[in-house]
Amino acid sequence: MTNLQSILNKQNTLSDNKFFKLLGVSPFGVAVFIILALSPLFIDDQYVMHLLISSLMFGALAIGFDFTVGFINIVNFGYAAFMGVGAYTSALLVSRLDLSPVLAMLAGSILAAILGFLIGLLTLRLRGMFAAIMAWFFGITLMSLAANMVDLTRGHLGLNVPILFPGAGRDAYFYLILGITAVTYIVLRKIINSHIGLAFRAIGQNIEAARSSGVDSTKYRVFNFTVSCFFAGLIGGFYAFFVGVLTPAVMHTRVTVEILVLCYIGGRGSLWGGLLAAFLVIPIFEYLRPLMEIRLIIYGLLMILVMIYYPGGLAAVYAQLVDLIRDMLGMKSKSVTG
Amino acid sequence: MELSAIGDILVAGLLRGGLFVLMALGLSLIFGVMNIPNFAHGEFYMLGAYFAYFSRTLLGLNPVLCIIMAALGGFIAGSIIEMTAFKALRKRSKGNWVMNSFLLTVGLSILLQNLAQATLGVRFMGISHYWQGSINILPNISVSIDRFAGFVIAMATVALFYLFLHKTKTGNSIRAVSEDEDGAMLVGIKMNKVHTLTFALGALLAAIAGAALLSINPAYPTMGLAPLYKSWFVVILVGMGNVWGTVIGGFIVGIVEAFSYYNLGAGWQDVVSLMVIITILALKPSGIFGKSVRGVWDR
Repeated sequence: MTNLQSILNKQNTLSDNKFFKLLGVSPFGVAVFIILALSPLFIDDQYVMHLLISSLMFGALAIGFDFTVGFINIVNFGYAAFMGVGAYTSALLVSRLDLSPVLAMLAGSILAAILGFLIGLLTLRLRGMFAAIMAWFFGITLMSLAANMVDLTRGHLGLNVPILFPGAGRDAYFYLILGITAVTYIVLRKIINSHIGLAFRAIGQNIEAARSSGVDSTKYRVFNFTVSCFFAGLIGGFYAFFVGVLTPAVMHTRVTVEILVLCYIGGRGSLWGGLLAAFLVIPIFEYLRPLMEIRLIIYGLLMILVMIYYPGGLAAVYAQLVDLIRDMLGMKSKSVTG
Repeated sequence: MELSAIGDILVAGLLRGGLFVLMALGLSLIFGVMNIPNFAHGEFYMLGAYFAYFSRTLLGLNPVLCIIMAALGGFIAGSIIEMTAFKALRKRSKGNWVMNSFLLTVGLSILLQNLAQATLGVRFMGISHYWQGSINILPNISVSIDRFAGFVIAMATVALFYLFLHKTKTGNSIRAVSEDEDGAMLVGIKMNKVHTLTFALGALLAAIAGAALLSINPAYPTMGLAPLYKSWFVVILVGMGNVWGTVIGGFIVGIVEAFSYYNLGAGWQDVVSLMVIITILALKPSGIFGKSVRGVWDR
C-alpha cells in the first residue's frame, strides 16, 4: 500500500518536472511512446505492424478531431475531406512534380489548413450544429470535386501513389506515423494548455458568457479549425503514401463518422482518448473482419450506448479509476477530467 | 437555352423536389419539436424502400398498399427507436442535448445500415415499375407514371400532414411543443407521447419517400445518405425550424439539381447546390425564411 502511494507521489513530482511540462505529456505518455518506438524490434509479423500503423493513424486523426469537438464543441463533419485534400495534394505533387514527399506532405497539410481557414470563416460565424452541417456540405462537395475532376485525380479509378520507402518494410512507415502522432499530440496539447486553450473551453462551454468576457469567439474558432485541418491534411498525406491508391472514398462521410466514434468512445475533451480507443477498437475489429457487418453493428450499438450511458467515454473511466485509487490510498482526490 | 429545355428542367425539378419536400419535412419536424438534428433520417428512407419492396414482391400487394405498408413500418420503427434510445438519453441528458442527440443518431445510422446489410445483403432490391407506361403532363413532355405518381403521393401526404397538424388536437399539441415546451407542459400536454409521435411521424414521412421512389432507386443498405444530405440542404436553405418553408425549399433544391444535371451532367449537382446554399447563407445567414438561428442551436 505505502509502496503504491510512494509511486503515485513520485509520479506527481515527475509530472511537475520541467521536461514533461515543456512537452505537455505525462511520464506515462512518454513511457507508452518509448514502448511503441521499441516495438518494431520485437514484432516480426508484418500484419501486426500494419495494425499498429492503422491504429496510430486513426488515433492521430481522432486527436485532431477532438481538438475541435472536445474544446470548441463543433463537430467538423467534413473532417475526412480535409484529410483527403492533404492526401490528394501530396500524392499529386510527388507523382506529377517530383517534389520530395516531406515537402509534399507539408504542402498538402498547408493547403488543407488554408481550406479549413476559408471554410471556417464562412461557417463558424454560424452556431454549433449549423457550422457542423455546413462543414459536412463542404466535405461532400470536396468529395464530389475529387470524383469529378478525373483529369487530375483519376476519380473513382483511383490515383496510384509512388512508394515512399522503396525496399523498406512497414517499419519505416511505422516510425513516420509515430513521429507524426507525437508531434500532433504535443502541439495540440501545448495549445490546449496555453491561454488559447482556455478560450476554447470557454467558447465550448458557454459561448455567450465567453463573448461577454471579451473572447472573440469567431477568431478562436477559426484558429482552432485551421489547426485541426492542418493536422488532418498532414495525416492524410501519410495515408496516401501508406495505402498507395487514393480514391475519393477517403473523403466519404463514413470515414468522418468512424473517426468521430473513436473520439467519443475515447472521451471527448481528453485528446488522448481517441488514440487509446483506436488502439483498442481497430485491432479488435480487424480480428473480427470475417464478421464484417456484425462488427459495424457493434460499432453503432457502442456509439449509442456510450452516448446514453457514458458520454465521458474511456477518459472518464480513467479519471474515475484514478480518483478511486487516490481515495483508497487516502490521498486528496484531484480531478483529472478535461 | 431553349424553351422546351426550361420546361424539361422545371418538370424534372418539381418531380424530384416533391420527394425532397417529404424528407425535409420530417427532418424539420423532428428538429423543431425535439431538437434532434437527425443523422439517421436517411435510414428511415431506406427502411421504407425495403418495406415497400417486400410488400410488393413477397405479399404482392398493389402499389398504394405497398406505400401504406412502408409508412406503417416507418412509423412503428420510429416509435420503437424513440421509446428506447431517445427516451433513455432524455432521462440522463445533462445539457448539450442537441449535440448528444445528434451523435446518438449517428450511432443509430451505423446500426440500422449494417443491420440491413447483415440481414439482407448488399444486393440492390428494386422493382421495374409500380405502374407501367408514361403520360404527357404537358404537350411534348412525358414522364413515367411512377415519377408522376410519386409526386402526387408526396403532395397528398404533405396536404394530409398539414391538416393533421392544424386541425386535430394531437397535431395542435405537437405544434404547441415546438413553440414552447414548458408552456405546453403546463397546459397538460404529455411530452413523452408528443415526442414519440413526432419522431414516428418524421420516420413515416421518410419511409413514404423511400417507398414512392422504389422503382427509380432500388433499395440497398446505404441508400439513405444522399437523400439525407439533400434534405439537410433544404432545411438549411430555408432556415431551421421553418416547417412549411421546406415545401418551397424542396422544390428549389430539386430545380437547382435538375438544372445542373441538364447543363453539367451527372455528378456536379452537389457542387452546384452547395454554391447556391453558400451564396444564400452569405447574404442571409438564417436561411431564406428563417427569422433567427439563435437560441435553438445551443440548447
